[in-house]
Amino acid sequence: MNLISYIVRRLLLMIPMIIGITIALFVVTRIVPVNPLAVILTEKSMDNPASVKAATEKWGLDKSLPEQYFIYLKNLVQGDMGISFKTKNPVTKDIITFLPATIELGIASFIFAILLGLPLGIFAALRAGKFIDHFSRVFALLGASMPPFWSGLLMLFLFYYKLGVLPGPGRVDARIGPPTHATGLFLFDSLLAGDMPAFWSSLSHLILPAIILGWFTLALMARITRSSLIEVLQQDYIRTARAKGLRESAVVVKHALQNALIPMVTIMGLAFAGLMTGAIMTETIFAWPGIGRYAVEASVNLDYPALMGTTLVIAILYMFMNLIVDVLYAVIDPRIREA
Amino acid sequence: MKVPRTLLYLLLVVCFAMSVVGCQPPAAETPAAPEAPAATQAPAAEQPAQPAPTEEPKPVTAEDLPVLVMAMRLDDVVTLDPGYAGETTNLTIHINTYDTLVDFRPDDLTNMVGRLAESWENNADFTEFTFKLKPGLTFASGNPITAEDVAFSWNRMINIAGAPAWNLDGVTAVEAVDELTVKVTCAEPNPAFLSIAANPSLGIMDSKLVKEHGGTDAKDAATTDTAKEWLDQNSAGSGPFTLVRWSPKSEIELVANMTYFKGAPKFGKVIIKHVEDPTTQLQMLQTGDADLIGQLDSDLMEVAQADSNLVITTDQTLDMNYLAMTSNCKTEISPESSALLCDKRIRQAVAYGIDYDGLIQSVMNGYGVRAPSIIPLGILGVDPAKTWGRDVEKSKALLAEAGHADGITLDYYYASNATREIVAAKVKNDLAEVGITLNLNPMEQSVYLSEMRAQKLPMAQGGWTPDYLDPTMWTDYFALGDRSVAFRMWYKNEKATELAMTVRTNMDRAAREKAIVELQDILIDDMPYTMLWQGVGIHAHRNTLTGYKFHPVWLVDFWELAPVE
Repeated sequence: MNLISYIVRRLLLMIPMIIGITIALFVVTRIVPVNPLAVILTEKSMDNPASVKAATEKWGLDKSLPEQYFIYLKNLVQGDMGISFKTKNPVTKDIITFLPATIELGIASFIFAILLGLPLGIFAALRAGKFIDHFSRVFALLGASMPPFWSGLLMLFLFYYKLGVLPGPGRVDARIGPPTHATGLFLFDSLLAGDMPAFWSSLSHLILPAIILGWFTLALMARITRSSLIEVLQQDYIRTARAKGLRESAVVVKHALQNALIPMVTIMGLAFAGLMTGAIMTETIFAWPGIGRYAVEASVNLDYPALMGTTLVIAILYMFMNLIVDVLYAVIDPRIREA
Repeated sequence: MKVPRTLLYLLLVVCFAMSVVGCQPPAAETPAAPEAPAATQAPAAEQPAQPAPTEEPKPVTAEDLPVLVMAMRLDDVVTLDPGYAGETTNLTIHINTYDTLVDFRPDDLTNMVGRLAESWENNADFTEFTFKLKPGLTFASGNPITAEDVAFSWNRMINIAGAPAWNLDGVTAVEAVDELTVKVTCAEPNPAFLSIAANPSLGIMDSKLVKEHGGTDAKDAATTDTAKEWLDQNSAGSGPFTLVRWSPKSEIELVANMTYFKGAPKFGKVIIKHVEDPTTQLQMLQTGDADLIGQLDSDLMEVAQADSNLVITTDQTLDMNYLAMTSNCKTEISPESSALLCDKRIRQAVAYGIDYDGLIQSVMNGYGVRAPSIIPLGILGVDPAKTWGRDVEKSKALLAEAGHADGITLDYYYASNATREIVAAKVKNDLAEVGITLNLNPMEQSVYLSEMRAQKLPMAQGGWTPDYLDPTMWTDYFALGDRSVAFRMWYKNEKATELAMTVRTNMDRAAREKAIVELQDILIDDMPYTMLWQGVGIHAHRNTLTGYKFHPVWLVDFWELAPVE
């Protein structure tokens, strides 16, 4: 079928893209004038020439750059992203450790952004110029302009410290402890283990960071839904629908909304990928052990393997989201399918 | 019904993404029911309700004891395997899970006491050390502690050649003489070795247990030892607590070792939670979510003092912040600056131009002290009375004497962070008043370390924290020309090297003290470094906790803590 061959072609196209990304990454990281040994070894072991020599050999830093690159690529094909300079763990293992926290927070923020962003945008469009429109604009503006390190601290101060209605930082109450490890997604794991205290604790710990992280996406969605819906509402076929004497609700829901939401698929795809790649500020404020901090530390420390690994994972995530968005487009909009 | 279908697709996107990413193969090391040796921590659900037995009094288990929660920064922890860990926070975890042979207790940092060792002796030239272990001690696993375990632990550290291996630099052999006697041989006289042996990194591991999990102390341990993955999540020591879980950048969980040889701890479990923001740490303490925190920010002192539920202590640390100036007249970066700085009068002019009191007041809110040289207060031979301060006239005179009465310009380098930015700005302001223009060059941490370690910088701002309590921790690294900071700043003075060697090789307390006093004078005259401030740590805990004692190397020993009755 047409769609399937399209997907297969897109998937195959990813291979040269991934190779391209690894080359770009490799070149960029290696031209930075930093000696990675400064990261691998501590201040005191830098004094010992034997340690320096051993580390240089162990981490392959004595080989030429093309040689280092081909070794990396060869291992990558076998699913081995190398050993992190800093944590001394396989990068794959580190990513598996940190990714679940990010995924859980990303999904929660995404749900928050959609559940609130879409209705807010729709009502703002329908009542353009009225109170709800102004409210939605201000709310979106706040979300887009408040830095998370400020809004996060403020929310913690208010809801955790002053009012005591929501828990403090972390993924779960320290005295309750995380559920038995299965996937690393605490909500899922706690349900799997039937550990209800851990479930409720994890859920309540998700609220604040999800709001802070999702707020920006919410703002984006509300604004784009609004403008897209307003545009659609001015189309001829809407006037025709109204002229036919359809109820306003039918006009909006059946005729306008469906068309207005098509551009949202693109936005949502990219926003979802964005939320999945971690958010350094939110993770820092809420002591959230996600991939964002890991990636930033990897780049600050010039931890080549970790840096390459996280960037690759993020790049592949974006590629997949783009593919899904394109496929969804074809499914939703017959014109694209036929084109 | 077309709209719901659209929404359905959206939901599908979410679900699909969830299933794609959610189905990562479960981490290989999925902790199968932690084999915590001392405490079986079966969740209540698994245990059928026991019919109250009651004839014999039930022995106290770890679950019967309260839980202690500590909030602090844990993000420097990259491994908890003593063979690999070389950061700071791991020292706190290691002192609580492993026992060292000897120890400096918080209440007396100058006298060494035995921990696992009953006695120790050395030969006349400090190349051989013999430790005699206390008899009858066991690890948390129940295995006896023998000399073989000591040899295994230290040989493993040497052969893995990981971050902490420098502790044992120069050690040529660690051998078990008999079951309870271990002999350490060093290539060169090494009187500091006894102090080094108190470093929590050198805690003794249960060789049997570590070997079961792939550990080895063989020559090729760097490539053949596979115990790290297990040791990251478990401990193999005899300490008051046992590590049962480490979630990186999140939490560390310790369970009481009820058979600890000094007596069972008063807390059944310790959870150390990573919280980066100091304000949030304090909030957790105030709400009772945490019982103690790692360090209190001096900005938050007023808030903390106003809370009657908190106990605040200030403790002098040995953490130093220094400004270093090169003695090389032609450094690779900014040779013009180094051409000036290699004249010691210029270095002195810089040092006397800085307003240290103002710096400590404005940056540290007064929580800082200063020592006369780079060797901190609290160390043998360091006399606080000799501490000098700003002297603008002297500074200007020194500049004029060096032929630069109309002022000079210098390049100043540091790894950028919030504190260092403020310090650099303050130093720049102060020096402007004596006619020295400072160009501030903030760098990314990794770039700074690379350049500094490659001896390229003319002026640098750094910090130093001790790993063991012996004057060599400072005299070696700041006065021996081929070591660490002295090497990187090209500082080499024959007399200083000779005195540092005396401190290094002479164990006679009076001789060492004399050498340190003399060395200190030379350092003040040569001025390769000036101490900006020595930290005063502010620590806080809830008043429901007693026994808190700060230690400058390993922070806190949880075994000393107890709930208030």
